[in-house]
Amino acid sequence: MSRLRILLIKEWRESLRNKMVLFGVVLLPVILVATSVYMITVGEGADDAVGQIVLFNTSLMYFLMLPAIIPLAIAVYSIVGEKEQTTLEPLLATPISDTELFLGKALASVIPALIVNWISFGVFLGAIRILVGSVPLQTLTAPWLASIFGLSPLLALFSVGVTMIVSSRASDARAAYQFSSFAILPGIIPLIIYSSSKTLVDLRLVVLEGGILIVACAVIMFFAVKLFRREQILTRWK
Amino acid sequence: MIATKGLTRRFGELTAVDSLDLHVEKGEVFGFLGPNGAGKTTTVRMLAALIAPTAGGATIAGKALGTDNREIRRRVGVLTETPGLYRRLSARDNLLFFAKLYHVADPEKQVERYLKLFDLWDRRNAPAGSYSKGMRQKLAIARALLHEPEILFLDEPTAGLDPEAAKTVRDLIETLRSKERTIFLCTHNLDEADRLCDRVALFKTRLITIGEPEALRDALYGRRTVVHLAESIDGIEGALDLPFVKQIDVIDRRLIVSLGDPEAENPALVQRLVELGAKVQFVTELRVSLEDMYLDLMEANHEPS
Repeated sequence: MSRLRILLIKEWRESLRNKMVLFGVVLLPVILVATSVYMITVGEGADDAVGQIVLFNTSLMYFLMLPAIIPLAIAVYSIVGEKEQTTLEPLLATPISDTELFLGKALASVIPALIVNWISFGVFLGAIRILVGSVPLQTLTAPWLASIFGLSPLLALFSVGVTMIVSSRASDARAAYQFSSFAILPGIIPLIIYSSSKTLVDLRLVVLEGGILIVACAVIMFFAVKLFRREQILTRWK
Repeated sequence: MIATKGLTRRFGELTAVDSLDLHVEKGEVFGFLGPNGAGKTTTVRMLAALIAPTAGGATIAGKALGTDNREIRRRVGVLTETPGLYRRLSARDNLLFFAKLYHVADPEKQVERYLKLFDLWDRRNAPAGSYSKGMRQKLAIARALLHEPEILFLDEPTAGLDPEAAKTVRDLIETLRSKERTIFLCTHNLDEADRLCDRVALFKTRLITIGEPEALRDALYGRRTVVHLAESIDGIEGALDLPFVKQIDVIDRRLIVSLGDPEAENPALVQRLVELGAKVQFVTELRVSLEDMYLDLMEANHEPS
């Protein structure tokens, strides 16, 4: 078994035993999906087709925020947890490479975030289909699907990068969580744009945000990779 | 097994380790002694290929530091200052994770072997966070040994252990020595170092001295015989006119005599004392403890800030 896979399994095993992580990964998506379905089915304006479309559009934006929020919860506890438990040095003393360590930490957060986000999205669509019928689903256009499936990995990656950088300087999980919270901004920005311009999702906006996110991810990951070198971890991390 | 040449590590203006020259043989238990902040941990981190030296170099288990770092990490085991265990994972899962990272041939069997060796098997499925301090230390030592390393770096291995567990660790070190494993032992427990180490190095940023504890004592203090008398005799130090006696100190009814070769000279010393009318009760060797030697040397090397 590759060391990367061994590390990933360990990370997930630990996360499953951490209530704070479980809350962020499981409970939050459940609450958001349930609230969205409730709004669309029995909320104000849900009795006419236009109102349902507006509510449906608003709900879809949650699936741009979840890929940023979920990895934040996992990454904070994964990195600060190692610091708090003083497990980093024994781990670094093994033959694991810096790249495997970095990828292990990053993927341990990104993979569950994408899986949970897309499962939540599927559950949400299924629930709407059963409870409301096909009307709101008509608003699920290609730009929306591109946003949810194309931007999600970038949003997750950006969030993990920011969290890794913040966690390397933070000595406790709460502080790291607070400082990392701004990593969800790229997920909120389209929400603000769509709400203020009162337009439906535009493919040009999706492509523009995708481009900006790729650059932002590259910059953030560049610094995160530099921080995740043995030497840096043992001599510079707080 | 470990050879360093001018090994140096600086952190900005601060020099943590300055031109360290060491040579540790295979199968040797080597004590690395020094006060807090002396640079012991930095040295171990460099030797375990965790951080790079600023200058100088080292060969660890035949591999050059800086070019074969991954191979060095494969061949050494490190017990860090704190146990560093995943508290939410069971003891078994903790060890299995590391056994797999080291690509141990049969991880399950090896983990079982070490959990049983350290008497942790019955609580193998309990989270490591629920373990006592001593149990955590034993688990951390088991982790350092899992992949059967050629060189073992132990940082305070018996700290926080009860006497029984500490003895288990010391016995284990003796067993490892008999199996030709090299052990680099950082400790503040000087009695432990005295008992376990073939050689010790006293270190404070620079190497102060290195050698076998006994030889260091002899070199620094000479060898001294204590003769306990039934009653004191006035002027005995003047009357004891033997050529091999270097110095005599009289404290109450005890004579402390500095000799070059006590094994050869003690019989003549006792005979002369009896001739002078002394009633010799018993004769012992005055042993300067490693702790006293350590404190004297550290005091001599103290640099006022």
